[in-house]
Amino acid sequence: MNAIFAQPQMLWLLPLAALPIFLSASRRQAYPSLEGLPEDLFSRIVSLAVAATGIIAIGATILALAGPYRRGQWTERVGQGAETVLLIDRSGSMNETFAGRQPTGGEESKASAARRILRDFVLQREHDRIGVAAFSSAPMLVLPLTDRRDAVLAAVDAIDRPGLAKTDVGRGLSMALAMSEEGAPLASRVVLLVSDGAAVIDPRLQNKLRAGFARVRVNLYWLFLRTAGDRGIFEAPEPGQDTPQAMPERHLDIFFKSLGIPYKAFEVESPDAVREAVREIDRLENHPIVYRERIPRQDLAATFYALAGLATALLLGAKLCEVSLRKGVVERPLRLARRGPA
Amino acid sequence: MIAPASRGSLRDPRFWVLTGAALLLFATFAAPSLTRTGNGVDVLVIVDITGSMNVRDVKLAGRPASRLDLVKSVLREALASLPCPARFGLGVFSERQSFLLFEPVDVCAAFDAIEGTLAGLDWRMGWEGDSHVAMGLYRAIDMARDVKADLAFFTDGHEAPPPPASGGPAFEGERGAVKGLIMGVGEYALSPIPKFDDDGREIGFYGMNDVLQENRFGPPPKDAEGREGYNPRNAPFGGQVATGSEHLSSVREPYLKSLAEATGLAYRHLSDAPSFVAALKETAKPRPVPVALDLRPFLASGALALLLAAYGLAPALAALRRRFGAKSFAFPFFRRT
Repeated sequence: MNAIFAQPQMLWLLPLAALPIFLSASRRQAYPSLEGLPEDLFSRIVSLAVAATGIIAIGATILALAGPYRRGQWTERVGQGAETVLLIDRSGSMNETFAGRQPTGGEESKASAARRILRDFVLQREHDRIGVAAFSSAPMLVLPLTDRRDAVLAAVDAIDRPGLAKTDVGRGLSMALAMSEEGAPLASRVVLLVSDGAAVIDPRLQNKLRAGFARVRVNLYWLFLRTAGDRGIFEAPEPGQDTPQAMPERHLDIFFKSLGIPYKAFEVESPDAVREAVREIDRLENHPIVYRERIPRQDLAATFYALAGLATALLLGAKLCEVSLRKGVVERPLRLARRGPA
Repeated sequence: MIAPASRGSLRDPRFWVLTGAALLLFATFAAPSLTRTGNGVDVLVIVDITGSMNVRDVKLAGRPASRLDLVKSVLREALASLPCPARFGLGVFSERQSFLLFEPVDVCAAFDAIEGTLAGLDWRMGWEGDSHVAMGLYRAIDMARDVKADLAFFTDGHEAPPPPASGGPAFEGERGAVKGLIMGVGEYALSPIPKFDDDGREIGFYGMNDVLQENRFGPPPKDAEGREGYNPRNAPFGGQVATGSEHLSSVREPYLKSLAEATGLAYRHLSDAPSFVAALKETAKPRPVPVALDLRPFLASGALALLLAAYGLAPALAALRRRFGAKSFAFPFFRRT
């Protein structure tokens, strides 16, 4: 039984429920002697039943006062969705507009565009478990995989706060992988990288990432928020310029493609294009997922109140059945008052 | 047959007592759901994750633990004991910036997730080695004002590099606009600060020459003229290498108290979760939040009293009457019918 009490100290009152065993709520009536009456099974049963009803009435009231509830439980359901890790760039340049300026007036920074659209994404993905990681100079675990929508939204809301210095994609990715790995074993896993730039991943870390991506099967999406004038992912290199240092975005893309995992990059240059990309990811990532849903905790007090009320009503009924011996209307001596003085 | 019989029952006070009990019990189903105004908690917690927070000078369950571990454990316990609904946001401080991880969110609904984030707090999240506590605090105050929450700033007050002789940056915001706490973490005695290599492995402690002992930016202190080797142009800070105890760490209480004074926050030394929660409630802005008020226990308590009276009162009175004589306990309702 998974029931617990909110106010367990009330249970100390439970011995009071034994009161009806020793005392009766019925009237005492003077009767010369009970010795002369024959043993009557029916009367005995009735008298025991009345005492038991009294025990139930008091006991159930005390149990209800102790605040019984059933703990929240989990059920497994099958839906459409994935375990998604949002890996978000929090470098300082994210606070600039797509034109590479500080936002003024009605302009929107890349971070606020990302925030707005990721909010929609989170709200649409009903059955996803979503985790959030941020990276700039160092990777940061913001929120482990969770199904609490409001917590994820609170973490997404924080992304347009002032960011930090650098963009260390490599270590951010390894944190996202570690987070994905902790998820359910059979779920479809998604890492959604949102950044406005890339950096050179050092070869040692590249090897580790390669091993990691081979072990944890994830689908990788890269939402590249391209600033006007920056080099893009798909731009053809000028001769002699094709090095990871000169074109980190292009080489990160090449690295991702070489991993042999489902991967898609979206290069977006405006807030609308971001929305298109998110919509496409939403469409692509619709696999059956076994997700767990929480049944909220259940209050059991009402059941006990009903029981206590019913028992008390029965006691009242018994009370109404009492007869006065003095009126002489007794056809059959109900021994409700058997503990009356002899 | 019942009608004439029940007339006698109707004259029995216990019948009415039981009726009252039954009515009260059934009233629990009709009880309106009232809300009363409680005092809610809405707090932004910023945790210092700089190197000095790795100092193991505090105890956790009787074992030596790092300051950061103590903060994490206190926060975990405090979260569980906050009255619902409570909103909690989390950020980390390093270098001179407070970095918001998530905005305040209802703890009661998202406890598991928040607990996971707390467990993941680590000095490795720090983006720079510096620790400009005052700057971080000022930015945290701005942030708390933005998200309209109270602030709890957990730090040991260890500035690295040490603030210049002319004093640290001044607070330019409105004093007292944001309420809250500065929680001083750590012991009062100096302890060594663990040192880590590039891969995050501990490789000993900081020595005197590993850290800047004196901030030699800005004008020199007043007493510099008396120092050995002083030269106004070539050696305004004196001719000696600075020595000091900046490579050791203790909770800098006077400094934190002065910051608290300047910003209008309160200062407390961190010991355990209950005292933190109490201090938070004491200093936080009153935030009226609707709290559900369950009327049923009140009704049921009445019903229980009546039920017990129905069984116990008459015999008890009878016993007293037998003992002390009928007169003193003559009670008209319980006269025999």
